[in-house]
Amino acid sequence: MTLPLFRHNRANRVVTFDEYREEGGFEGLKKAFTGMSPAEVQQTVIDSGLRGRGGAGFPTGRKWSFVPRDLPGPRWLICNCDEMEPGTYKDRVLLEHNPYSLIEGMTLACYALGVRHAFIFIRKGYEKAAANLAHGIEEAKKAGLLGEKILGTEHSIDLDLHLSAGRYICGEETALINALEGRRPNPRQKPPFPAVKGLWQGPTVVNNVETLANIPAIIANGSAWFKGLALNPEGAGSKLFCVSGSVKNRACVELPIGTTLEAVLDACGGMREGRKFKACIPGGASTQFLKPEHMKLPMDYDTVAKAGSRLGSGGVIVFDESHCLVEATLNLITFFARESCGWCTPCREGLPFVREILTRIENGRGEEDDIAILREHVKYLNYTFCALAPGAMAPLDGLLRDFEDEVREHIVKKRCPLK
Amino acid sequence: MPKLIIDDIPVEVAPGTSVLEAARSVGITIPHFCYHPALAIAAACRLCAVKLLDGPVKGIQMSCALPAQDGMVVSTTDPEALRMRQLVIEWLMINHPHDCPVCDEGGECLLQDFTIAGGHSRRRYQGKKRTFQNQYLGETIHHEMNRCIECYRCVRFYQDYAGGTDFGVTGSAGRVYFGRFQEGALESPFSGNLVDICPTGVFTDKTGRFRARYWDYQFAPSVCQHCSVGCNTAPQNFQRETIKIVGRRNDQVNGWFICDRARFDKGYLNDPQRPREARLDGATCGYDVAIDAAAKAIGKFVAQNGAESLAFVGSSRLSLEGMILLAQLARTVDGARLCYFTDGGELTGSAAAARLLNEKNSAYLRDIEKAECIALYALDLMEEGPMLALAVRKAFLAGAQIYLVDGDPIPAREKLPFTFTAVATLDEVPFEGGGRGVVIAGAGKKDADLLDQLASGGAKLVMLQPGPNAMAGGLLSLEFGGQAFSELASAGKIKGVVCFEADLPEGLIVDVEVVACADWRTGAAAAKAPVFLPTTTWVESDGTAINYEGRAQRFQRTRVPGLPLRGLDPKYYGSTADAVAEHPPRVHRKEVPGGAERDAWRVMAQLIERLGGRTIEEPLTGRWSKLKDLDPESEGVRVFNLLQGDPRTDS
Repeated sequence: MTLPLFRHNRANRVVTFDEYREEGGFEGLKKAFTGMSPAEVQQTVIDSGLRGRGGAGFPTGRKWSFVPRDLPGPRWLICNCDEMEPGTYKDRVLLEHNPYSLIEGMTLACYALGVRHAFIFIRKGYEKAAANLAHGIEEAKKAGLLGEKILGTEHSIDLDLHLSAGRYICGEETALINALEGRRPNPRQKPPFPAVKGLWQGPTVVNNVETLANIPAIIANGSAWFKGLALNPEGAGSKLFCVSGSVKNRACVELPIGTTLEAVLDACGGMREGRKFKACIPGGASTQFLKPEHMKLPMDYDTVAKAGSRLGSGGVIVFDESHCLVEATLNLITFFARESCGWCTPCREGLPFVREILTRIENGRGEEDDIAILREHVKYLNYTFCALAPGAMAPLDGLLRDFEDEVREHIVKKRCPLK
Repeated sequence: MPKLIIDDIPVEVAPGTSVLEAARSVGITIPHFCYHPALAIAAACRLCAVKLLDGPVKGIQMSCALPAQDGMVVSTTDPEALRMRQLVIEWLMINHPHDCPVCDEGGECLLQDFTIAGGHSRRRYQGKKRTFQNQYLGETIHHEMNRCIECYRCVRFYQDYAGGTDFGVTGSAGRVYFGRFQEGALESPFSGNLVDICPTGVFTDKTGRFRARYWDYQFAPSVCQHCSVGCNTAPQNFQRETIKIVGRRNDQVNGWFICDRARFDKGYLNDPQRPREARLDGATCGYDVAIDAAAKAIGKFVAQNGAESLAFVGSSRLSLEGMILLAQLARTVDGARLCYFTDGGELTGSAAAARLLNEKNSAYLRDIEKAECIALYALDLMEEGPMLALAVRKAFLAGAQIYLVDGDPIPAREKLPFTFTAVATLDEVPFEGGGRGVVIAGAGKKDADLLDQLASGGAKLVMLQPGPNAMAGGLLSLEFGGQAFSELASAGKIKGVVCFEADLPEGLIVDVEVVACADWRTGAAAAKAPVFLPTTTWVESDGTAINYEGRAQRFQRTRVPGLPLRGLDPKYYGSTADAVAEHPPRVHRKEVPGGAERDAWRVMAQLIERLGGRTIEEPLTGRWSKLKDLDPESEGVRVFNLLQGDPRTDS
């Protein structure tokens, strides 16, 4: 099976430029620049059914189509590589093995969108990935696949690598744009959306690394091929799942969209010896829990949403029967409370409130009223400036929905029952 | 024009109006912290939550960031919206100290008001409050970060609105910190507005901390008397002392804000050393005795030297009322000279402005803010009219081109909150067609003919004045033939002078007899005068001032004159009836200690009467009578038409 993303990967080293080209790399770029119009490239992406891999799962082609065609002045493409969702490390694995799919994918996206200058916004911590990208950009330029007059055509595209200080909030696209402009990474008021007014007030598309890395194969092999990769009829393409927690081999694996949860776990060797699956977070920290009855659930955006959670970024965290989910949720809330940008009140003050209550419950000092207060926060933390706090409430929502008895047991017994 | 329904009230507002502002237009105040009409929308505090029951948007929304649209049905009292607002208060109170009684903001604190209004009384959060280290921000502003509710108003004002660079926000999440990179005095000359704009007690006025509570203050609408812009203020007084001065909104003059000079330069008003009592030949005397003596001295001087060698000299510190009566006083002593200005250049400049400007060609605040091209001509804007620099910045941010003509660009570049192109002459400024071009000229030497030419080309003019009420001095000089005292004195035409709040340099009066002097501060003339009459300052008197754009504004007496109670000399405690000192001192007197000062125009009126003139009850007569009922809380009235309507026949 030739899934698009990891097919060029070598064990323990980065693929070389020559190896990537020999294996069909830059074929998509050649095909587009020599035989397709930008509109055709965009239409192919729309037809492929590719959805944003950063977490929200918004159809990529549609996002592109929001960019007004007739606005004067430059437009921008930004690759969001501020991967910081707990449990998610797919972009890192991808870029540490292969920077070229992203470079080629961005060049194609620029071609489709009419962008002259694009940026890769990468976390400071991803030094190896950044080094690979810097090297890859140089080689692509040398080979005439990037920079001035690509493949001898009239099209010129520049790619800049921006090493950001990086915070979780920089993954929010408008905060990322502010950070790239040199401002504080506070999210911006929407509308206007970045597609209309983004970087330096110009039309801007922000896409995730994995999303963009899919594009070369989509262009080279066509949209029907990409759609056909998925195991479920509505799905399209493959997905990187980074599995952590109680599985035998914690790894980042590429699997077709629509693979069942069970098969995802099996791809990582199944549960660890003697451990029984209790729950998992399917798509990074800001998603609700999936439970044992979801084992046969096809992992696609809509199917997981129907089950009350989100496919998100594909960061699967697996908990077994020995894990305390109050503690796990507290751990996630601690992260979110720390990563709030501090702009709006509910997020800045509400998350520490939730953290304080969960800390007390976990340490046996919970009170009967606490569950009501937590429920209130799940509801009212939706009314924040951006999606950080609503995302942070997802695991708490799941905890109260599916594991309220466990929470109550903490309060009644005045201790963590699993310790 | 979107039509919507807010709490069952149909509202129609201009497109782009937010739901919060639409509600305000029908008298519904939606609680808010981060929203401020002068600043960009932040939608950070989330207090202004309302519920949309029907229409294009539904559910809980932030009313400050939601443009009003057709068909919206808004509830500001929906239980869910109320709960959201209560939670916002609860979240903010997690970390805010519960110590209003020892906070200087207590009583005038938006957070205090809304916390009580929302009914928050029980603390459910059991953790500790976060604490910060405060910073030293200079001698005028006190910093107390623990009180911060992170509405970002301060930084949005300081950086975005005023162009300051040394104050900002650091940190993230619950550690967001508003301050400087390092401790030190705030550099912006508008930093004092942080005190007004902070909805709680993070920034308080260090010059008046813990002197009084808001409800203790005696205050009234006033007009700043530090430059010719005439910003609206409200001096807050307690026990005959001006404790604080805060900005007062006037969208035509200063918007919401004032500069630091207007706010903090107030020590002279409270100075116990201010001359408080009438003096005759060095000894204190009753006020009427001194006025009689002054009248007698004037009569004697005129008999000996002739009226033409006597000058009645005022200054731009006088109110319009004082200036009008000064002319009448000079007329009463037939042949005496009238001077509103000491310096010849200042007289020429103000007279030129009075002659040149009219309702059409004179630019005001909004013209500057909306200008496309602005020339700063021979002036130091941050000295002569700091608040106009913020108006220029607004235009600059909207894309206007700014030119500095005939100025020193090096210091200007450091001070001005916008960037500009320096050019040598006004001809080099490309006023294209003149439309939406503004020239801001200083009080110094300038080419009035050139300005006239530009104005006829369509550009609008600002001619800043050398003093708060100098425009009135210019207008009245034209009308009554006012002369410059320095020129008269150096030509040897003057042998005697009667001063009203005039600052005469010592060198000019060496050979001149100071017949009498009335002032609220001491100077060379006061020291020399055998008769001295103390007058009230602008905070202690009613009056009218005319600013650079010919706008007459009324200021009201904000407190009685007299020595501040604080630090009052013990001699005033001594009871005349009982020589034994009591404790506590219980002395009941009719007179305010050191409260003998009178308004300058009243002193003039009394002198006119004593010199054989008529009795004057109301100084604003003739064409000026239209200003008699000017509302101190109004936007003011521009006086050009008033003048054109009437020939120079004031009686």
